[in-house]
Amino acid sequence: MDSQNPFEVRHGSRGGDIELLGLSHKEIGDDDARLVYLNDPVKSNERYEFAGNSIRTSKYSVFTFLPRNLFRQFHRVAYIYFLIIAVLNQLPQLAVFGRGASIMPLAFVLSVTAVKDAYEDWRRHRSDRVENNRLAWVLVDDEFQQKKWKDIQVGEILKIQANETFPCDIVLLSTSEPTGVAFVQTVNLDGESNLKTRYAKQETISKIPEEEMINGLIKCERPNRNIYGFQANMEVEGKRLSLGPSNILLRGCELKNTAWAIGVAVYCGRETKAMLNSSGAPSKRSHLETRMNFETIILSLFLILLCSIVSICAAVWLRDRKDELDILPFYRRKDFAHGAPQNFNYYGWGLEIFFTFLMSVIVFQIMIPISLYISMELVRVGQAYFMIRDMLLYDEESNSRFQCRSLNINEDLGQIKYVFSDKTGTLTENKMEFQRASIWGVDYSGGRTISRNDPVQAVDGKILQPKMQVKVDPQLLELSRCGKDTKGAKHVHDFLLALAACNTIVPLVVDETSDSTVKLLEYQGESPDEQALAYAAAAYGFMLTERTSGHIVINIQGERQRFNVLGLHEFDSDRKRMSVILGCPDKTVKVFVKGADTSMFSVIDRSLNMNIIHATEAHLQTYSSMGLRTLVFGIRELNNSEFEQWYLAFEAASTAIIGRAALLRKVANNVENSLIILGASAIEDKLQQGVPEAIESLRTAGIKAWVLTGDKQETAISIGYSSKLLTSKMTSIIINSNSKQSSRKSLEDALVTSKKLTITSEITHNTGASDAAAVNPVALIIDGTSLVHILDSELEELLFELASKCSVVLCCRVAPLQKAGIVALVKNRTRDMTLAIGDGANDVSMIQMADVGVGISGREGQQAVMASDFAMGQFRFLVPLLLVHGHWNYQRMGYMILYNFYRNAVFVLVLFWYVICTSFTLTTAITEWSSMLYSIIYTALPTIVVGILDKDLSRRTLLKYPQLYGAGHRQEAYNSKLFWLTIIDTLWQSVAVFSIPLFAYWASSIDGSSIGDLWTLAVVILVNLHLAMDISRWSWITHAVIWGSIIATFICVTIIDAVPIFSGYWAIFHVAKTGLFWLCLLAIVLAALIPRYVVKYLYQYYSPCDIQIAREAEKFGSPRELRNTRIDTNPILGSPHR
Amino acid sequence: MIGEATSSGGGGKDDSPAAVSAKKNKKPNYSRFTQQELPACKPILTPGWVITSFIVVGVVFIPIGLASLYASEHVVEIVERYDKDCIPPDYRNNSLHYIQTSETDKNCTMTINVPKHMKSPVFIYYELDNFYQNHRRYVKSRSDKQLRSKASEGTTETCKPEAVTSNGQPIVPCGLVAWSLFNDTYKFSVKKEVLNVSKKDIAWKSDQEHKFGSDIYPKNFQSGSLIGGGKLDPSIPLSEQVDLIVWMRTAALPNFRKLYGKIEKDLQANTTITVTIENNYNTYSFGGKKKLVLSTTSWIGGKNNFLGRAYIAIGGLCLFLAVCFVFVYLLKPRPLGDPSYLSWNRNPSGQMN
Repeated sequence: MDSQNPFEVRHGSRGGDIELLGLSHKEIGDDDARLVYLNDPVKSNERYEFAGNSIRTSKYSVFTFLPRNLFRQFHRVAYIYFLIIAVLNQLPQLAVFGRGASIMPLAFVLSVTAVKDAYEDWRRHRSDRVENNRLAWVLVDDEFQQKKWKDIQVGEILKIQANETFPCDIVLLSTSEPTGVAFVQTVNLDGESNLKTRYAKQETISKIPEEEMINGLIKCERPNRNIYGFQANMEVEGKRLSLGPSNILLRGCELKNTAWAIGVAVYCGRETKAMLNSSGAPSKRSHLETRMNFETIILSLFLILLCSIVSICAAVWLRDRKDELDILPFYRRKDFAHGAPQNFNYYGWGLEIFFTFLMSVIVFQIMIPISLYISMELVRVGQAYFMIRDMLLYDEESNSRFQCRSLNINEDLGQIKYVFSDKTGTLTENKMEFQRASIWGVDYSGGRTISRNDPVQAVDGKILQPKMQVKVDPQLLELSRCGKDTKGAKHVHDFLLALAACNTIVPLVVDETSDSTVKLLEYQGESPDEQALAYAAAAYGFMLTERTSGHIVINIQGERQRFNVLGLHEFDSDRKRMSVILGCPDKTVKVFVKGADTSMFSVIDRSLNMNIIHATEAHLQTYSSMGLRTLVFGIRELNNSEFEQWYLAFEAASTAIIGRAALLRKVANNVENSLIILGASAIEDKLQQGVPEAIESLRTAGIKAWVLTGDKQETAISIGYSSKLLTSKMTSIIINSNSKQSSRKSLEDALVTSKKLTITSEITHNTGASDAAAVNPVALIIDGTSLVHILDSELEELLFELASKCSVVLCCRVAPLQKAGIVALVKNRTRDMTLAIGDGANDVSMIQMADVGVGISGREGQQAVMASDFAMGQFRFLVPLLLVHGHWNYQRMGYMILYNFYRNAVFVLVLFWYVICTSFTLTTAITEWSSMLYSIIYTALPTIVVGILDKDLSRRTLLKYPQLYGAGHRQEAYNSKLFWLTIIDTLWQSVAVFSIPLFAYWASSIDGSSIGDLWTLAVVILVNLHLAMDISRWSWITHAVIWGSIIATFICVTIIDAVPIFSGYWAIFHVAKTGLFWLCLLAIVLAALIPRYVVKYLYQYYSPCDIQIAREAEKFGSPRELRNTRIDTNPILGSPHR
Repeated sequence: MIGEATSSGGGGKDDSPAAVSAKKNKKPNYSRFTQQELPACKPILTPGWVITSFIVVGVVFIPIGLASLYASEHVVEIVERYDKDCIPPDYRNNSLHYIQTSETDKNCTMTINVPKHMKSPVFIYYELDNFYQNHRRYVKSRSDKQLRSKASEGTTETCKPEAVTSNGQPIVPCGLVAWSLFNDTYKFSVKKEVLNVSKKDIAWKSDQEHKFGSDIYPKNFQSGSLIGGGKLDPSIPLSEQVDLIVWMRTAALPNFRKLYGKIEKDLQANTTITVTIENNYNTYSFGGKKKLVLSTTSWIGGKNNFLGRAYIAIGGLCLFLAVCFVFVYLLKPRPLGDPSYLSWNRNPSGQMN
């Protein structure tokens, strides 16, 4: 549980890295760099001791286990409190309890945890050993030899075969591919299963290390945990080459589709990026626990009060008797054994009082429910067990279970007020489907039939077939086959060529069909949009079949054509477009650009083809309003001088060491202009199953849904309608502003409007309900540009005020960091709980910011999941997660905290009352062993089991009435009123427990141990029955645990009383023979519980909360779903008293 | 603990490639336990159930209360305070001196009238008041180990300040508890005829057999300069020192009785018993009272009305509550599980608010 800064732990998002590269204008200084001499591990490691490649995930060795494990455990305040108390008790003056008894609880907890840690560490040791002894091919004396992983050193040259795992972080030198490309699978590192491409530098591709010495020096940055960033340069043969993230192979990844790869180890062992990233999720603290800490402070004050009372009374008692103390038979201050009488064990009045105070702290120690923290942890583990195994939260499609990554905030799920959701991949499936296209001003939308064009395109005598089938438009299909002779057909040709070429897709041939002559072609890429477009192009006969770093092969209507990829400007979030410069077979050079409409229309030459542009714009409008994702394509032919100019700039930029990203962006901007429009594509991003219903449920439950998306406003709104986020009953307020002033104005106007709406709705409905927005809901739609001006300025207040009046907020065109900003806007201004849910790297910041972060394990990789507290497969699981598990967890945990306060306080108070009868000297009638076992054996299990298993309402009811979730919003299970009620109840119960035996045995021959046993049993039975009274569902486990605890207590008390050297020897057997004992026990339990029983009944029957009514309906059925007249009200109860 | 989940980033720790593990179906197995659907009963406090339970409690408790009151009433108990009366008038103002010197005659005679027939056995108790036998210093000042066997005669560390004699010999039995042994004695006679006081079975058998050794004899006891109480016959093993055993089972409360002996003979009503008390024990230094108690016993123990009254009070209260609840229920019933009572279904004009 090392509490590292949570923001450090995470992988940087990809967008961020581009920025990072752009910003790092300074060269790696010699101080910050590590120098790696190629093929010279001795020299590489000479100056610095680089880490070897052996790894150690284990935390302890045999010798360090005890001290280090204890050190880690004592990081908890609770344990330190335990320890201080135990140490205090070891002082002879303060030894209230025997040594054994006082250390037992701490020792118990410590040893249980230690055993668990030891077992886990043993398993880590074992896996480390396996890992370290794996073999790799290392260049030694000019030939590759097998070497154990742990012996690999920085600077050594390694050869990795296909499907092998990289043993350390390696800079790629050459591969089996002539172009120096290598495909890697990073699933172990970031969970993304698509293949990524890595490149060797041109200068090293041709080197064969066995035959010629490679000399060189790599200067790279210090080890860091950013798996998407790497910065270095390499000096080979006097040339200086820059290296980036695409040149490095990371430990843990696997080499795929490449026969071999050769590289030089730069980071080894614990310095590899994979190892640096293997740290846990950050620990968050639940809202309930934070509240509980406040009450814990009240309890500590209460403890101090009790101790003060005891010590003050003791002071008075001692002062009143100061003359008698010397020979008082039960005090005997003077020791006469050795000549002159001297004080025995008496340190003066003041010190005696001080000691009394400390001793009372020791005796009353469990007033602070330390065991509660441990029980809470166990309960959360139990709750997580059931959440993970819930069939409702299992996603069939991705075969993923629910994941609890953070174990501290289960109960927060029951109090969520705001849900911030990403759209793509969260509300929608992120399974892109090419739907329509607008080419040269013509809309092709007839894609209703699955294409059965003849994709019989033989390569090497095999038939290639795209893996995904796309519905095609017959008219467009017809046109696409016409070649590029007619004018219309030429545009179609160019458009489809753009679809097939303008991307970073890697085509892979896979053998998954039963038919050996047919091979499936799979498109691997990082963007699902690109995949959809490439599949679409393939369906129309433009099949991308091969990609190397220098060229692509496109099979156009059965004809193999080779295009040289002269340059590629990757997508970035500033330009919002990408481009590829192709050398076509007809010796022309063309630049194909695709991008978001806003960014594209600014670079399209508007002087040409105005009507086409207008038509395309109109089509785009239509597509967006249907909720389709659109991309616009443009083309330009480069003449020779333009090409030369671009080429020089591109070469210069891509080898630049300083500010490469910025330079590349500039080059891209120069070439991406004066484009001729080709058309636009429309891709459907299907809504996930059950999303509208889920949103409806969440809304009914009183949860406000905010959708934050990078999509266009129209797309966002249309998805909003189809997902029932927006309804026709809602009034939408749209804010699109370009400056701070206009933002302010539109916010103020919107506020007036929303107020008016709220007031009218209040008048018309005359409702006392505070949530007027529910009656006449307002939806706020705001775009990223406005947010730029609003966030981090004084306008935030206005926005929050406005947003809190709206039941739905839709933010479009927002950047990843803005998402976090919006979450922070709400989180910092209310005490309500926020939940963020998303699936992509762009949601990471928002997930970390929110009180509860939920990751969707979707198609966009695992980064959101890695950053999240909980992860699941589908958005709709949010409903059972919050409404069912969240509700249960909150109710259970709230009750458990109150009960634990009560349970410990009642015991302490019984001890306290008795102390008053012992002239304030902290004698306990209850044996010290029982005191210690009280919270370990006598009462521990039932509260844990109830905290894990009790259900106030069934799953069905909770899903049927989402409004029941409001109990969490209103903090019904844990609030100060309940706390104080509990304390009052506790006081009464302790008085009942103490005083009934007191009066019954006053002036009798009862001895201390017997009455102590009576009190022990009475308290234990009482607290267990108290719990029993509040259990909602009695399964056999509950029965076993409650009655088992009581029986266990009897057994323990008997065992303790069977030890002859304890003063209470055989007491229980004597006292249990008397009728008075049993009558006392019965009277205590009844007298103590009656007030609670009465109050509980009256409250439940005459002022029932929703949960209570729902429980009754669950049990007795609700005979009248529809309201009827009052006449048939009575027969529901066959009440026995009549 | 949480970190472990991600540490597999350390590279291919699970040797199976991702493709293999992906094929493994992770679907949770259905069981009523994991789906939290174990059969269970769901108790709800319905008026019927609550009222019934109160009636049952009332019906059970009142008879128990009456029975214990009845039993308690039939216990005949005679309590005579003697600490004041047993000081000769000359010493009334200097009772401490009287009790501490060995020169004074400690004998004192009292007469007790038996009000009712007392059935055998009649238990004789002494009752002390304001004596904190539960004081921490006192309770701890004993050595249970030493009491058990001769072998651990020397284990007296816990017994201070009565652990060893001035020349270092262990005191047996050591500690304040034994040191302050009560040593008043009572002799009873009816019309000059001595009533035998039996000491049989006044101590717990378990104590005699296991807690106090039969091979360990009192030694160096009360040999110091300050005498706390009774002396013990060094020729009798501790397991037979019944008075000591009774005394050493320390009382729970500052006002306590200890069994002195038994008269195994019925005492007729209106018998006058003459008690000769040897008033040795010093309670005068802390103002404690001494009482002599003769009492018969019943199934409920000694005379104590508290529990009977408590039972009747609890039972009565329950019946009263039951009646109240019936009335309240008849006046203002609420249909159970009526969804119209749910907060969001209530009429906004709100008769429920």
